Amino acid sequence: MTTHHMTAADGGGRLVVDALEKHYQLDGAEVPVVKGVSFTIEPGTFTSLLGPSGCGKTTTLRCVAGLETSDGGVISLDGKVLSTGTRHVSPDKRDVGMVFQNYAIWPHMSVFANAVFPLQVAAGRLPKKEARTRAMEALELVQLDAYAHRPATALSGGQQQRLALARALAHRPKLLLLDEPLSNLDAKLRDTMRNELRSLQQRLGITALYVTHDQSEALSMSDRVAVMNGGRIVQEAAPRDLYFAPADRFVADFVGRVNLIPAVVRDRDANGDALVEAFGTRLVTPCPVESGTGADVTVTFRPESVRWHAAPVDRPNLLPARVARVEFLGEIVEYEAEILDGATTVGRVIARGAPLNSPTEGSTVFLELAPQACRVLAA
Amino acid sequence: MSRVERTTRAGRTRPTGMTVATVIAGSVIFLLLAIPLAVQVITAFRGPFLPFGVSTARWSTENFVTLWGLRDDFWDVLGATAAFVGGSTVLSLLMAFGLAWVTVRTDAPFRRMISVLVIVPFIVPSIVKAQAYLLMLSPESGVLNQLLRLLPGDLVIDPYAFSTMVVIQSLTNVTFPYLMIVPILTGMDGSLEESARVSGASWGQTLRRVTLPMLWPGLLGVMVLTFILGLGSLEVPLLFGQESGKDIFALKLWTLISAGAGELPQYGLAAAWGCVFLVITTIAFVIYLRATRDAERRASISGKGFRPTTMKLGGWRIPVLLAILVFTMLTAVLPLFALLWSAITPYPLAFSFDALRTQTHFTAFGEVLADGEFWASLGRTLIIAGGSATIACGAATVLAYGIARSRATGWTRSMDLFASSSVAIPAVIAGFAMFLTFMVINPVIPLAGTIAALVIAYSYRVSIAYRAGFSATLQIRTELEEAALISGASRLEGFRRIVAPLLAPTVFAVWIQMFILGTNEFTLPAFLATPESRPLSVYMYAMINPRSAQLYAPDQGAAMALIFTLLVFAIGYGLQWLVSLRSIGRAARRGRVVDAATDALGTAAVAVEATDATDTRSVAAQQVAELTHR
Ligand SMILES: Nc1ncnc2c1ncn2[C@@H]1O[C@H](COP(=O)(O)OP(=O)(O)OP(=O)(O)O)[C@@H](O)[C@H]1O
Ligand SMILES: [Mg+2]
Repeated sequence: MTTHHMTAADGGGRLVVDALEKHYQLDGAEVPVVKGVSFTIEPGTFTSLLGPSGCGKTTTLRCVAGLETSDGGVISLDGKVLSTGTRHVSPDKRDVGMVFQNYAIWPHMSVFANAVFPLQVAAGRLPKKEARTRAMEALELVQLDAYAHRPATALSGGQQQRLALARALAHRPKLLLLDEPLSNLDAKLRDTMRNELRSLQQRLGITALYVTHDQSEALSMSDRVAVMNGGRIVQEAAPRDLYFAPADRFVADFVGRVNLIPAVVRDRDANGDALVEAFGTRLVTPCPVESGTGADVTVTFRPESVRWHAAPVDRPNLLPARVARVEFLGEIVEYEAEILDGATTVGRVIARGAPLNSPTEGSTVFLELAPQACRVLAA
Repeated sequence: MSRVERTTRAGRTRPTGMTVATVIAGSVIFLLLAIPLAVQVITAFRGPFLPFGVSTARWSTENFVTLWGLRDDFWDVLGATAAFVGGSTVLSLLMAFGLAWVTVRTDAPFRRMISVLVIVPFIVPSIVKAQAYLLMLSPESGVLNQLLRLLPGDLVIDPYAFSTMVVIQSLTNVTFPYLMIVPILTGMDGSLEESARVSGASWGQTLRRVTLPMLWPGLLGVMVLTFILGLGSLEVPLLFGQESGKDIFALKLWTLISAGAGELPQYGLAAAWGCVFLVITTIAFVIYLRATRDAERRASISGKGFRPTTMKLGGWRIPVLLAILVFTMLTAVLPLFALLWSAITPYPLAFSFDALRTQTHFTAFGEVLADGEFWASLGRTLIIAGGSATIACGAATVLAYGIARSRATGWTRSMDLFASSSVAIPAVIAGFAMFLTFMVINPVIPLAGTIAALVIAYSYRVSIAYRAGFSATLQIRTELEEAALISGASRLEGFRRIVAPLLAPTVFAVWIQMFILGTNEFTLPAFLATPESRPLSVYMYAMINPRSAQLYAPDQGAAMALIFTLLVFAIGYGLQWLVSLRSIGRAARRGRVVDAATDALGTAAVAVEATDATDTRSVAAQQVAELTHR
C-alpha cells in the first residue's frame, strides 16, 4: 500500500464519558436506557462496547456522536466538553466520524461525492483541489479509488462498507465511531474487514469506539473492551483479562463459552486459593472473591482449559466422567461429560479439545480442571 | 430474479377460479376506463354534437380545425391553466412539505394536533371550501378582509384577482400532497441524514445536499399527481373564474357543454379540447411513473437499523408555530367561521357584535333539516360514494392480487399500466367523457342522469385502490400462502384465510378514503347529475349559486355545508375508529411518527398514498409487514 498523508501524526483524541444517562419517553413514561456509563478511551486506542441486544450500546454511541441528546453526565473529547446533561454540541461540530450499521451511503451520489462530502461541508471548508486530494486519499485507504466515479448504488455490500469507512475518515476526525459495521457482511468478508479495520486504525492512530455484540470481534480488535448489560458497564478490561478474569457470572457467560458450577467454600489458604466443594468432591481454585467458609459461590472454567485422561493421573482436581456427547466443529471438538460419583451423575461439564485427540462417545474418562484455569465468582 | 421465479410458480398453480375472477375484474376496469375515453376521442372526430344517432354525426377533423382556428383563445386557455394549476401546485406542495416536515421531522409542540388540523380540510367538500373562501373574501362583509382592515395599511384582498384564485386553489388542495409527503418523509432512512450531520454538515446543508435530492423522485411524483388533481377540479374556477375573466381549462370545458338558449352544445369541440389536455396529462403520467420507479430504487438501498430523526427547533419554535397558526386560520378556522356566519345571517353582513346580537338567527339550520330534498340528496350521496368505493375496491383488489401473483407477460404489464392510469385522467375529463358515454348508450341502456351512472362514474378513481392493493400484495410473501398449502389448505382457502385478512386493512383504508372522496365529489356530478339524481354537493351549489333562481338560499347553503361537513367527519371518524382500534393503535405504540396522522381520517389516506406513491411504510403495510415477520 502507498504511503499516505494520513498518518499517526493526525492522531486521535482522548474520549471521556462520565456518568452518562439517557432516557427514552415511551407512552409518557421515562424509560432509562443508559444508566450512568463511564469510560475513558486513550488517544489512538481501540475500545469496544460489547453487550447483548438492547443493552444500550448504540444509544451510548449515538450520545457520543451527538445524534442523541444525553440526559445526564459529561462527554468530552480532548478536553472539549461535547455534552452535559443540558448543553450539547451539535453533531457537525464534534469532529467525529461514524460508520453506521447499514452504512448509510447516499444513493443519489457517486462514490467520490460520498467521500468528499465531509470535506465540503466542514466549517473551515477546504479549497476544491485539496478536498479532492483528501477524498481520493481516503478512498485509496480502503482501496476504492478505482471506483470513485461509480454511482454509490453500484457497490457490493463489502464495498459500501469500505466507502462508509472512507467517508468517516475523510475529514480526519479525532474519533471514529462504529456501530456494528461488520454485521451485514458474510463470515469470510467479516474476518478480512476485521483485520483491515484494525490495521487501518493503528496506522492512522485514530481513537476508535466500536459497538458490537460479537465477542470474537471485540476480543480480536480491541485494546480495551467494555462489557455492557442493562444500560451499565459491568466490566472494562483488556481482552485477555476479560476472558480469563471475568468480573462476574454475566461477563464470564457472555464472553466465550464457560462452565458455571455451583459450589460452596470449604476452606481458604494463605495465598488466596480456596478449597470449594463442587460435584460432591473438593476442588482447589484461586479465589479473588471475599467469601468466608460456607459461602455459596460459582466456579467457572473455560471448556478449552479442561484436559482429559484415559486413566487416573496424579494431578489436583481430577474428576471421573462419562462422555455423553461429542460434537465435531471442524478445528475443534466439543464434548459434554457427565461427572460421576460412583454410578450417579452429579453434574455436567462442557469441554473442548483438538479434533485428533478427542474421547469417544460413551467412554469413561478423567477430566482435569487445572486450578489456575478455574475461578471463583460470587454465586 | 427471485420474484419472477416465485410468481411463476404461483402463477402456474393458480386455480381457474382465481383466473376467472382476475379476468372479470380486469374487464370491469378496462370497460370502466376505456369506453368513456374512446367515446370522447370518437366524439372529437365525429361532428359537432353527439357522435352517433344524430344526423350531424360524420367523421371529420373539423373540431380540431376549429380549435386551431381559435388558437389565440387556445393559447390563452393553455397559459391561464398552466399559471393557475402550476402556480397552485407549487404553492400547495411548498406548504405541504413544510407542514409534513414539521409534523414528522421536528420536535414542534402540538404536532399531533397540527397533523389533525391539516387533515380537517380533507373532509370538507371542495365546493364548500371554495364557497367559504368566497364568503371570507367578500370586500365588504368577508371576515378575512375585515381582519386585514384591522392591520395598518390599506390591504384588501380582491377575491376575483387571478393570484387570489391561485392561492385559494392551493389552500383547498393542500391536504392531498400533505398526506402523500408524510409517508415519504417518515419512510426516509434517518441514518442517511445522520451520517451527513456527523460528517460535519449543518441542518441546512443536510437538507439541501442529502434530504431533498434523496426525496426528489418521490416529491416529483406527488407534484404530478397534485397537478393532475388541480387540472381536473372545477370548484374554484367555477366560483371564482367566471368573474375573473380568465378561462381555465376545467371551466372552458364546462361552459362549452352548457349551451346557451336555442343552441346545440358543442360536444365535439369540447371533446377536442379534452383530447389535447389528455395528451398533456399522459406526459405527466409518464413522468410520474418514472419518478416512482426512481423513488423505489432509492428507497431500496436503506437497510436495517432504521430510526427516524427529529430536528430540534429551538429558537424556531415560535415562528414555526405562528406560521402554522396562520395556515390553520386560513384553511380551517376562518372558512368554517365564514360559513357559520353566513348561515346565521339573513344577507351578506359584516361581522360585528352588534349584528351578532340583533341580526342572527339559527332558522337556516332548521330549514335544512326540515327540507326533504336535503335528506334525499344526502341519501344519494351515501349510496353513490359507498357503491362506487365498493366497486372500485372490489375489482381493483382482485385484479391487483391476480397481477401481482402472476408471471409478468405483455398482457399483465399492459393491464397493470392501464389499471394505474386513471390517476392521469383529470376529473373534468372523466366527467365529460362519462357524460358523453351515457348519452351515446342511452337509447340502448338508459342510464343517463341516473344514480347508477354516478356510481359508475365515481368508480373511475379505481387506480388508487389498484396501486394500494398491488403494493400490499407484494408485501405478503408467497411463503405465507405456500405454508397454508402445505398445511393442507386449498388455494382458495389459503386466499380466504391468509391473504384476505392480510389485505383487509389496506382495502378498508382505501375504501374509507374513496368513500370520503366520493362524498366530496363535485366535478363528476356537475357533468352527470340531474335534479333527480344529484348528490348533496350539487344541491348545495344550487343553493349558493345566485343564478339558480328559486333554489338560491345562501344561508341554507352554508348551514347545509356545515351539517354535511359534520356528518362526513362523523362517518369517516367512526369508520376510522373501527380500524384504529386494531391496527393504528399498534403502530402508534411502536412510536412511529405516522401515528401523528392517525387520528380521524389521516391514516386511511396516508395508508393509501403511501402505497400509491413511493413508500410502503404505511400503517396498513406496517401491519402486513408485522404479520409477515412473525
Ligand atoms: N427511540 C427509542 N424510544 C424508546 N426506546 C428506545 C428507543 N431506541 C432504543 N430504545 C430502547 O433502548 C434500549 C437500548 O437500545 P440500543 O439501540 O442502544 O441497544 P443496542 O445495545 O444497540 O442493541 P443491538 O445490539 O440490538 O443493536 C433498547 O431496549 C431499546 O428498546
Ligand atoms: Mg445497536
